[in-house]
Amino acid sequence: MSLFALALRNVARNRRRSLLTGGVVVFGFAAIALAGGFMSQSFEGLREGTIRNGTGHLQFADPAFFAGNEDAALEHGLPESGRAAAILSRDSEVQEVLPRIDFVGLATNGTRSVPFLGTGLDPAPEARTMDTAKLLVSGRWFLDANERGVVLGSGLARALNVKAGDTLTLLATTPEGVLNALDATVAGLAEIPIKELDERYLATTLGLASELLVASGRVSKLTIVLREPADAEAALPRLLASLSREGIGVAGKTWEDLAVFYRQVRMLYLGIFGFMGLVLVVVVLLAAANTMMMAAAERTREIGTLRALGTRPSTITSMFVAEGLILAVLGCVGGALISVAIRAVLNHAGLTLPPPPGVAHGTPLHVNLYVTAYAAGALAMSATLVAASWFPARRAARMPIIEALAHV
Amino acid sequence: METILEGRGLTRTYWLGATPVAALSGVDITIRRAEFLVLQGPSGSGKTTLINLLGLLDRPDGGSLQLDGVSVATLDENARADLRRDRFGFVFQSFNLVAVLTASENVEYPMRLKGASREARRRRAAELLAQVGLSEKREVRPDLLSGGQRQRVAIARALANEPEVILADEPTANLDTKTADEVLDLMSRINEERQVAFVLSSHDPRVVARAQRVLTLQDGRIAGGASPR
Repeated sequence: MSLFALALRNVARNRRRSLLTGGVVVFGFAAIALAGGFMSQSFEGLREGTIRNGTGHLQFADPAFFAGNEDAALEHGLPESGRAAAILSRDSEVQEVLPRIDFVGLATNGTRSVPFLGTGLDPAPEARTMDTAKLLVSGRWFLDANERGVVLGSGLARALNVKAGDTLTLLATTPEGVLNALDATVAGLAEIPIKELDERYLATTLGLASELLVASGRVSKLTIVLREPADAEAALPRLLASLSREGIGVAGKTWEDLAVFYRQVRMLYLGIFGFMGLVLVVVVLLAAANTMMMAAAERTREIGTLRALGTRPSTITSMFVAEGLILAVLGCVGGALISVAIRAVLNHAGLTLPPPPGVAHGTPLHVNLYVTAYAAGALAMSATLVAASWFPARRAARMPIIEALAHV
Repeated sequence: METILEGRGLTRTYWLGATPVAALSGVDITIRRAEFLVLQGPSGSGKTTLINLLGLLDRPDGGSLQLDGVSVATLDENARADLRRDRFGFVFQSFNLVAVLTASENVEYPMRLKGASREARRRRAAELLAQVGLSEKREVRPDLLSGGQRQRVAIARALANEPEVILADEPTANLDTKTADEVLDLMSRINEERQVAFVLSSHDPRVVARAQRVLTLQDGRIAGGASPR
């Protein structure tokens, strides 16, 4: 009869109470596993949304560009963008190099002028790797890199009262401070998930942006899309080194460095789920502590007997802790099975979640099988049950033997 | 006979709220190897308190207690637990078997504490249960045993680690006359065959009649001694 076997029999001794405590552990574990899976899905969705909505996995630009020191468009543009793009494209993990020109200006329909945030881009690779082309609600995406067209956010189009096929005039200041203007045709309208951006969004071809800004081959930055599974943190120093070897000095940032919004949302989610997890642990702790205190009180005389027979106090404590661990393990196994079952039901229920922050449309509910959450659940439940067992057990084990033997 | 345990001037006071109650007041006692000693006296005379002190279940407030000439007063809890495991056996009035263990496992428990192998434990438990006449009840849990059978399992358990002294506090108090006689016969036989000292507390005349030596306690003091057989 090992200590573990004795603990197992004591767990089975009061089945109803053990089932109740085990049930609390099952609930706690399942809640952590499912919440973790949901959180993982949300982070993945948000990450993918951030990368595919224009940020890409990596961006390379002049250090002053990232510092926000640019007073005018292309003031710190990359002069050798073509060569840099070619070097970056040679890396086996790079799927696409997207040159972009960021600029601001005014769009006018002849009677009304509205400020915009413009991006000049290469339409074909952008359509392959980014979601902007998929956000079109009317019209079409650009046909080639020199098309004199624009895609407007639907909010901006409303403000200008234009639709696909209409003509606009774009006004912008060149890096030399000269005001330039060009006519462009509205190719399509896109619904940008973030309302404030939707009211200012304007995309155009690199050709039109270069002509408007007199860019002379310069771009604001190079956005990199990596092949999946992408490891931006590992790729950044490697690609910077490649550029440096070729004499091109630029700064680089990962999508996570650039996605302030993603980081804020992540912290918010972690705070919310962390608090929920803490509440769960406290609930499980109280329930389990109550069970263990009752078990210790009921078995006071037996504890006295075991000690009289020569059992050390630490062994008594270990026995109760083993009981707690057994309940934790059984509860976690039950919780894992229930989590998997609930996850299967939810994932096949066809439910749609409200859109996460920054996203226009709801997404289908899919709770990930997030192994880390399962491990965290098991760890949290085991630690909680050990703590809940240890204190009453220690107290019982230290009670004077004759007092324990006289307990009725 | 060789002395195993020797208490000198043992005192023990309990507190009922703020009122001190002297359970033992300067008791001198010697336990000799293989003797059958009965502590008799009315309820509250200090029999159980003295048994508890002799078995290292409690600590005296005053006086000295020596085991094989070595003081046990300053030993820590673990050392006292080891001595109880190795040198003493206990038989309780209410049997005190572990409810979730079978008769055999109850007997094996002290041996497990001592680190005996599973095979050795099983073999010795079977032998001891056979000696107390419970071979066929080895795999039965205590709740399915009669009072006499439980006490016999408790005696087998007390013998598990071949102790030098078995301390039994009112071992027949919860048994009917016939069963009590059977249990006493068993204890006497073990005492003679195994040369284990028995220290029993009782006010049952039948128990006293079995004693080699009787000590009478009265108000926490030794009031007299006798050797009935």
